[in-house]
Order: sequence, then C-alpha cells, then structure tokens
Amino acid sequence: MKELLISILGKPEGIVVFQLLAATQYTLYLSLIAFVGGGITAALLTLARIAPARSVRALSAAYIWLFQSVPLLMLLFLLGLGIPRLFSTDIDPWWAAGIALTLFTSAYLGEVWRGAVEAVPMGQWEAARALGLGFMRTFRVVVLPQAVRLALAPTVGFMVQIIKGTSLAYIIGFHDLMNIGKRWANAPVDGTEPFIIFPLMAFIYFAICFPLSRLAIWLERRGRSGPRATDDDGSSPSVTRSLNVQAS
Amino acid sequence: MDELRFFEIYRNADYLALLAEGMGFSFGLTLGGAVFGLAFALLLSVTRHIRTPMLGLASAAYTDFIRNTPLIVQLFFVAFGLPLLLGYQWPFWGHALLALTLNFSAYFAEILRAGYRAVPSGQHEAARSLGLRPAHVFCLITLPQAIATMYPSLTSQFIFLFLTTGVVSEIGARDLTYAGVFIDSRTFRSFEVFLTLTALYMLMALSFKGLLTLLHRRLCPWLHIR
Repeated sequence: MKELLISILGKPEGIVVFQLLAATQYTLYLSLIAFVGGGITAALLTLARIAPARSVRALSAAYIWLFQSVPLLMLLFLLGLGIPRLFSTDIDPWWAAGIALTLFTSAYLGEVWRGAVEAVPMGQWEAARALGLGFMRTFRVVVLPQAVRLALAPTVGFMVQIIKGTSLAYIIGFHDLMNIGKRWANAPVDGTEPFIIFPLMAFIYFAICFPLSRLAIWLERRGRSGPRATDDDGSSPSVTRSLNVQAS
Repeated sequence: MDELRFFEIYRNADYLALLAEGMGFSFGLTLGGAVFGLAFALLLSVTRHIRTPMLGLASAAYTDFIRNTPLIVQLFFVAFGLPLLLGYQWPFWGHALLALTLNFSAYFAEILRAGYRAVPSGQHEAARSLGLRPAHVFCLITLPQAIATMYPSLTSQFIFLFLTTGVVSEIGARDLTYAGVFIDSRTFRSFEVFLTLTALYMLMALSFKGLLTLLHRRLCPWLHIR
C-alpha cells in the first residue's frame, strides 16, 4: 500500500497520503466507539424518558439538556486534562476521547430517539394496552418498530456530526487524522504546505461523511413517501387518527 | 484526590478580566459570524431557489463540502493555508471570523432552502397574480415567511454552532477557550478552570437562546398566540 502510493504520487506526497489514510482508521475507530457507547446510553435515556416514574423522566431530560448545552471541546478538556489532574493520574487519550464523545453523542441521539418515540401516536399505546399487552411488550412490539423508522434518517445524519467531532480529540493528544495532518502541515517539507495538507484532510473527512449524509437524505425521503408500516390495511390510519384525537 | 481550589482563579483580578474579555470576544465573534453567515447563506440559498443551473450546482457543492468537513480543518485552511497561498496577513480574529462565516453560512443556507419549500405555492401564485415581480414575490412574500417558520431551526443551529466556536483558540484568537487555556497554563488548576469555562459557555448559550426567543416574540407575535 505504502509503496504503491509512493510509486504513484512520488516521494513526500506518497508517504503523506499513506500516513493520513493510516491515521484515518483511528478516526473511524473513535467514531465507532462514540456511536456504540452513545447509542447504548441514548437507548437507556429514551427508555427512562417514557418511564412511568416522574423522577426518572426528569433525570433523563436533565442529562440531555446538560450535555446538549456543553461544548464538546470542554468535555474533552475536562476528561483529558481536568479530571486526571484533579486525581493526579494519567488518562489514556482513548478513554478520555471515547467518554467525551459518548456523552456528546448520547445527549443528541437521546433527544432524536425520544422525539421519534413520542411521534408514535398515543393511540398505538392505548390500543396495544387495550389488547392486553404489557408496558414493555407494547413498547417493543408496537411502538419501537414505528419509532425506528422515524429515527433512522436523523441517526445516520448524526453520525456525520460524530465523525466531525472526533477531529477535536487531537487537542488531548489522540492520534487521528487531524493529529497527523497537523504535524505534516507544520513540517518544513516541500509538498506538505498547509494549503495542500488541509484540503487533503478535508477531502478524506468529506469522503467518509458525504456518503452518510446522502444516505440520511435518501432514508428520509423514502420514509416520507412510502406507506407507514402500520397502515397496510386501509382502515388503520383513520382508527389511529380518531384514537389520537380522543387522547389529546 | 486533590482538593478543589477555585479561589486561585476567582481571587485573581487578571484572570477574571481575561475570562470577561474572552467571553466578549466569543460573543462578538459568534454574532459576527452569524450575521455575515446569514447574509452569505441568503445568497447561497437564492442561487438554488431561482434555478440557475451552474450557480445552483456551485452553491450546492459548497454547502455539501462545508457541512461534511470538520470546522477545525476549515479553520486551519483559512488561517494557515489561504494566507500562505495568496500572500496576505490578517490578525487572528480576522481568520476566525472568515472561517466561522463560511462555516455558518452553509448550515444556514440549508435551513433557508427548506424554509422556501415550506411556503405554500398558493402564496407565490397569489402574489404573482396581484402583479408582483418575481424579485418582489421573493423578498416580500417567500423570504419573510421562510425566516419566520425556520426561526426555531435557525436558533438551535446557531446555539449548536456557538458551542463549536471554542476551536478558534487553536489558531490564537483570544476567545473564552483561549483565556481558559492560558489560565490553566499558569495555575495548573485544569479541572477548576475548565469547569468554570463550561459553566460560562452554558450561561452564554442559554442567554443567546433567551435573547433569540425574545426577538422572535417581538418580530413574529402571531406565531406565539396561544
């Protein structure tokens, strides 16, 4: 791979492109950690948000509100510098960046998913309960499949925000695309001037993010035009609507 | 665990002044970026609205590129790449303002474009049949309605973008994050410094939100009738 790039692009450029692409994998790993960690936390937050207990709902709302009003950069500084210094220890940049991005991701995904669950008409809940299904069963079998359809597009769209967010992790010493690229831009080597390196890095980020953005748009269009999962027999929309009116 | 020593920051007048200056700078920079960004977004979204093929394509490519690359890469390119390429020298805040304007404009343009589509076509048709020219229809009918309906989206996007402006400290612009990093380098009270900074950013984000909501009530009272 390295030799191939050098033979195509020449001596400094081939090495630079190889190193940037090699560093990109850490950007992707970190994004994946943030997405999985944030997704699990967001799922718990969403469940907490529809819980019967009022205090649990309030706690979930407070968490989302808090981490949506805090800059990601501050979370990184706090976890990467502040907390380790407070406890006089060192923290691995993987842990600091992973936790900071998980907190960031969970707050936004939690908000999106809560919106999707709440967008499922109240009548769906009531009808399922009237048929004798329990709370968890109603959620899992009736509400969740409908909510997933609504949440899919914005969730994919938010993955772009996560990937872009990982570019800040270099500030606490995480070795990703941003970190390596910035070093090359500072290096006094011909062919690695800032006006070459930064567009190159932008292009790599773009190549990852743009397909996801397009996918999100496509999913949203498909979700809007296609028939709703629950409406396959003609009478159900009107039933849903009338129940909804009664509920509100 | 080390004990918390917030007083090392709060009892030092220099540090407090630095934080205040940083807040002022962040506030001004974000506001400037938002105003210029909105103006540029208007241009970008209009080129897509009036369907001039080449211009529309160019502005679509621009918004897609900005929205799918990190702000910090754009910032470094604007601050270090462009000046070297074109041979000019600006103060740090100039680079920061330019980068934020370019960044904000792409996000605002996307929201405005959705806003134009949300205006019912009957509105254009009615205006046209009353004899208004296309430019008047756009300025008097479409744009005000689009901004009024998209205002909540614009506000939350603005708050989200405000929370990302801390990166301008990385190019030496003296914003709130820059002040925090400086105080941290002097006191080594990282936790206290960044917790303070977090609180200040939250305070600013909430004040922005409050101010913008108040403004909306004033400008579009009909949308707030209950």
